[in-house]
Amino acid sequence: MNDAQLKSLALSGDTAFWGYLAARSRHAESFSELFFLSTLRKKARRVATESVQPRLRLAFVGGYNLYPLHELVEHLLTIRGIECERFLGEYDNYVSEVLDSSSPLYAFKPDIAFILPNGSRCRFSGSLLDAVERQRQAAVGAAEHLLNLARTFIVRSGAAVILANLGLPGELGLGSFRSRTLGADWSFRKAVNLELGLRAPAEVQICDVEFLSARRGIAAAEDARAWYESKQLGSPDFLVDVAQELSHLIASRRQGPKKVLVLDLDHTLWGGVIAEDGIEGIELGDSSPRGEAFKSFQKYLLALSERGVLLAVCSKNDHARAIEVFEKHPEMVLRLEHFAAFKANWEPKSDNLQRIADELRLGLDSFVFADDNPAEIEIVRQFQPQVEGVLLGPDPAEFISRLQAGRHFEPRNITEEDLGRTAQYRQERRRTELAASVTDMPAYLASLEMRGTIKEFDSLDLPRIAQLIARSNQFNLTTIRRSETELQGLLARPDYLCFTMRLEDRFGDSGLISVVIAKIEGDALVVDTWLMSCRVLKRQVEDEIMNEIFRLAGAAGCAKVRGLYLPTAKNGIVAGIYEEFGFKRTEDSAARKEFELELEKYQTRLTKIRVSRRAYEAS
Amino acid sequence: MKQAEVLAKMQEVFDGIFLEKVAAKPELSPADVEEWDSLMQISLVIAIEQKFRVRFRVGEVEAARNLGEFADLIAKRIEA
Repeated sequence: MNDAQLKSLALSGDTAFWGYLAARSRHAESFSELFFLSTLRKKARRVATESVQPRLRLAFVGGYNLYPLHELVEHLLTIRGIECERFLGEYDNYVSEVLDSSSPLYAFKPDIAFILPNGSRCRFSGSLLDAVERQRQAAVGAAEHLLNLARTFIVRSGAAVILANLGLPGELGLGSFRSRTLGADWSFRKAVNLELGLRAPAEVQICDVEFLSARRGIAAAEDARAWYESKQLGSPDFLVDVAQELSHLIASRRQGPKKVLVLDLDHTLWGGVIAEDGIEGIELGDSSPRGEAFKSFQKYLLALSERGVLLAVCSKNDHARAIEVFEKHPEMVLRLEHFAAFKANWEPKSDNLQRIADELRLGLDSFVFADDNPAEIEIVRQFQPQVEGVLLGPDPAEFISRLQAGRHFEPRNITEEDLGRTAQYRQERRRTELAASVTDMPAYLASLEMRGTIKEFDSLDLPRIAQLIARSNQFNLTTIRRSETELQGLLARPDYLCFTMRLEDRFGDSGLISVVIAKIEGDALVVDTWLMSCRVLKRQVEDEIMNEIFRLAGAAGCAKVRGLYLPTAKNGIVAGIYEEFGFKRTEDSAARKEFELELEKYQTRLTKIRVSRRAYEAS
Repeated sequence: MKQAEVLAKMQEVFDGIFLEKVAAKPELSPADVEEWDSLMQISLVIAIEQKFRVRFRVGEVEAARNLGEFADLIAKRIEA
């Protein structure tokens, strides 16, 4: 689709325009292109309906002119379905805007603030020949200054912060001496950036301007004229890089990374067709350039799986022959144990995707499907539109970058659970096998030898709690999202009772699998958040959680427990859960349901889980 | 290159960039076109630099008060 076609699509009011607009905008790398797309969007907007989602309040402050960066960010967020209200700080006034709590920045009440410090002002004030340790201490000081600014802002506003680091200068002046000292702008800013990243608390996200400018090329990212004329951060195209990164960071706070990568086999994991070429005939391994490229792609996929992305196979192949490659081919990097699901058959891929989702108990909207064949991508798009399709194309040398370009698997944080996730799914398969061999449910649950630990919120667990809150959709009664900053705030609130549950059994450790947030309101304990990993469904975890809620309500002197259910498109499986525990419905509208049960009427449930510790009790 | 020739080539840039029809006339100024805000200005300067293979010097574009003066500037840059 060329520019003229897109333009006529936009002006004709065709709804297909929005899909093309989003796809092109996400990959735009030049200012001219992104600007063209943004102009088209505003034009087409007049015939489109306004969204009803709450607007994101987004503040931009910094040592540069933030216009037109904020326009680009707005466009890139809009195409992802996030409408925003923007605040633009005054040029180079960010320090006082943050330090003065009566500044317009605070009055705006942002949800997220982007702080873009001025790089050229971040210099070492001593001599080029000062001791390196002294120079390094100054870099630490400069990094801490920026982080303190971010922390101050977070504490005062409760907003999240995205802090940009510093682009590196492309000056030739010092020659090769620049790398023999930390006093040169080049090396000093590198040191500051390094400290910034390593010291940033979890609630401060770093927008890596240094990386972005290196990636585009410092000479192409810098633009002295744009600085003198309008105090711009860099060249217009470089603003696009920063806007792309920023909108990605913002959108991923709401939408979270994808969880599952589903892969085709022939021409995707190896060259050739196994049914025709046989196990000896496929291209894979270091003996040919193409074979090497496929092997590298497999190594990349293995690294993804080690980081917690679940891999699955969905391919039109004979099952036995497909399996044979994984078991016998000496150059295969990926083995069957690396896959959480494996569907190689002649059923339509869209049906197989649904089956994989059911098996893994994950929503299809957390799936990415990668195939070399555009027809397969199109079919999946048509029948399973929630699945994100990635066309790998004809050249295996480009597979990794094509997959990364979608930015579907970039983690915000990496937790211990991420690193062990594939192993957890392997344990889950063994549980399923056991369940199939034991016919009676209580006997099965008893044979799992489950051990539970219930604990009040603990700052060490916050990253995992925040991740579950951001990602859980199905077993999530209210889908109230809370940032790490907000969660941190709950630790100090005596009127809140917040706990997590961990589960282990004879097959392994499932980790932190449930989160509950409840508030004491008068004589009631009100549960506003209850979510659970769907992997542990039907294992009596629900029962132990409810026992704990009532135990804590009793300990806090409450007479009743009130539960909240806010229906979404995905949390239908828990619509009836309070009633199953004997609660009575007290409020019932389409958007909100409330339930209530007196403490004296609750019957503690007996389970097969041995709970070794409970919340707010010394361990 | 004469002003009229420059304006004719500028018309091609305008047609690619503005969604509405904007005639490239010497007396035209940004205030006359609703779409022509500062974002549009940046984009226009980039497109014109690419079209004419020129690079304006700092402050030059701002000094032009209307399209005629801008066209003269382009002509001068091409010759320089």
